[in-house]
Amino acid sequence: MSATASQAKLRRRIERFFFAEEVPFGPALVRIALPLVLLGAMLPRALHVRELYSTDGASTPLWILYGYARLLPVPPAWLAVPLSGLLIFCLIASSLGWCTRFSLAAATALYTWFNLVDAISTMTKYSVIASHVLLLLTLSRCGDVWSLDAWLSRRRSQSPRAATRGLHVRSPVWPRRLLQLLIGCVYFGAAVTKMHTPSYFTGDQLRFWMISDINFGHPVGEYLSAHSALIVAGAYITIVWELLFLFLAWRGIGRFVMLGLGVAFHVMTNLLLGLYIFPLVSLSIYFAFLNEADVRALRIRWRKFQKRYVRRSQRPADVAGSLGDPSLPVAERPAYSQAAPPKALVPAWLTMSSSATFAVAATFVACGFTLFEHRLDPYGLRRAEGAHRLRELDPPLVQAMLAPAKPVRLEDKVFSFDVGTLTVGGSLATRRRQFRAGEEFIAQVMMNPPFEDMWLECNLHDAEDRVLNRIGQPVTRDMMRATFIYTLPHSLEPGEYSLVVATRGREITRRTITVRPSPASRAPLAN
Amino acid sequence: MKRRLAVLTIVSYLTALSWGVVGHALSVGTASHPAMYFVVWDMFCGWAAWSQRMHIVGEGESGRYYELAPGPWGPFRPFGKLDRRNYDPNGIYAGRLALNCLRHTRHEPIVRIFVVEESWPKKFNLPEHLWAMRYEEPKDVQTYYRVRHVLTGEGALVETYSPWLEYQAGLALADNPRLRADARRSTPFYAISVARPVDPNSAGRRYSPGSVDLLGSPAARISGN
Repeated sequence: MSATASQAKLRRRIERFFFAEEVPFGPALVRIALPLVLLGAMLPRALHVRELYSTDGASTPLWILYGYARLLPVPPAWLAVPLSGLLIFCLIASSLGWCTRFSLAAATALYTWFNLVDAISTMTKYSVIASHVLLLLTLSRCGDVWSLDAWLSRRRSQSPRAATRGLHVRSPVWPRRLLQLLIGCVYFGAAVTKMHTPSYFTGDQLRFWMISDINFGHPVGEYLSAHSALIVAGAYITIVWELLFLFLAWRGIGRFVMLGLGVAFHVMTNLLLGLYIFPLVSLSIYFAFLNEADVRALRIRWRKFQKRYVRRSQRPADVAGSLGDPSLPVAERPAYSQAAPPKALVPAWLTMSSSATFAVAATFVACGFTLFEHRLDPYGLRRAEGAHRLRELDPPLVQAMLAPAKPVRLEDKVFSFDVGTLTVGGSLATRRRQFRAGEEFIAQVMMNPPFEDMWLECNLHDAEDRVLNRIGQPVTRDMMRATFIYTLPHSLEPGEYSLVVATRGREITRRTITVRPSPASRAPLAN
Repeated sequence: MKRRLAVLTIVSYLTALSWGVVGHALSVGTASHPAMYFVVWDMFCGWAAWSQRMHIVGEGESGRYYELAPGPWGPFRPFGKLDRRNYDPNGIYAGRLALNCLRHTRHEPIVRIFVVEESWPKKFNLPEHLWAMRYEEPKDVQTYYRVRHVLTGEGALVETYSPWLEYQAGLALADNPRLRADARRSTPFYAISVARPVDPNSAGRRYSPGSVDLLGSPAARISGN
């Protein structure tokens, strides 16, 4: 094949990838789901709009972190409050698909602006992803299906319902492709971040995140933080999945595996790290991986399910006939006409009416929210007793806060001390407290950086706390763990012993182990 | 025309995404502009073995001390049980939070504002039953405080210090007599000023919030207090 022919083929493939036409079911589902998730994040913030986003509060613009004094204006309270109400309204309208493009455009602008104005309690990477998605949805025709706009359009056409049901206009697929590429790039970038973090592969980074308390509660994460083998295995699976997602998530078994792993990953971020909005934002974008054929297949299955289990007495009209033959290529199916919707039948005044109603409703919500916020009196300035007084702090507490920094205790330089028999990725994976005489085991001290270079001892003490064995090793400040391999002598009497971690002659921590008789010593003696 | 616009959009968007990924991978220009925050995907990029809290304390004329964040009207907890101020780990916006509180409350004249960092090992975050499973010793939490910034009552920055973790890392590094002696022998020295002050009120122009620091010796920043 000549170079020109192959170039032409590649060009055709790229063109088909971005400009094939389909009914935008996937983007429509993203449009329905994402604004609802964002409402969950923005409604609690709306009650603090004056404090978070206005000049009458403590806005924390992102651009200051980047060294810019004034990049965008911070709105005054009289503007921020109604705009916050408008944002809530636009998110709801976007989800409903009412004046979809305008709602999405307004939601994109307002959501991004509010995020930029509050870097510490609104702006996160999930809100950045959401801004991207709102922008791409604005550019798409996601309002053409499953929306109030489409429903109103059908009503205005005054056509019989059966004739217009399922009659959707097709549009180029590129906005959906950009949504897919976005999430693929996000995962790829996240994998690059992990490559930059060597402690990710030993599980240390994840372990410390799992016991962080800056997100919502995550008891599963706290429990699993002690299970190194699971953490290391999860870390490798995650990075392989993140790297491959962009390349395999497009069709066939690859799509099934990548999306399945993605769902599992995001559920685990909830269980292990206490994240809620981030996984919901990410999962709502997964609807972009649904194409027209998927939705048609799902509809057929649903109708068959209804026919079999739900409406035995009410057989629907010819299911296959109304939905088209799924074995045919999408473009050849007759049920979804490529013809434009019956716009000629829509009276202009009705379109005006919908937009006008939208404008009135938006104004009403913005004004109503302003009144509500005024009555809320967030700073308590209009209380009968007047403005709040400052809360006085206990002098001893303040004295402790302002005193020179205390030296760090030795026990605070050690994270954990465990005894076991197997390491995975350098971390102790199995924990045991009972051993037989003659058995080999591993004692591992995990450090709590930062700490200075230390000489760490791991000594074996008997029940009377006499030192039986002393071994030590240097632990430099770049090390996360010190591992001691012990072999219990056969001659050791069964009983309780202690492994004591010490430095500079001071005990830091200890673990009790039980030594049982070795099989050899239990064997019956010959006469 | 519509098709050309679509192609332009696709190319621009994919270029922006690629720029973010490549810049992040090669660590080039990731902090050059706030727009980079929208294309660099560095979620959970760091970690620490220590938990941290921020306290903003106002000192009144009478010598009494007051809590300036959260305001007395109540906290805002954006991502869990912690108040908003705790998601500003360097206290960069602490002055804004403090001044907002002072603007909307009754109080005696405030002469100084302290931004204090509190730290403790994350292992103490484990609930009691998990602690009992992993540790033989009782849970004995000790927290460490460090003043990060001192501001006037009007919010002007007077003193600023390194984060507690950075300070401890510096102490760990300095726990080496040879290194300390070498450092003493080569005290930094500038015959000329290398920082150029820029009007912070000029929109769109860059300025360094730490430009005062740059005029001094870098050793001052490394050694912390």
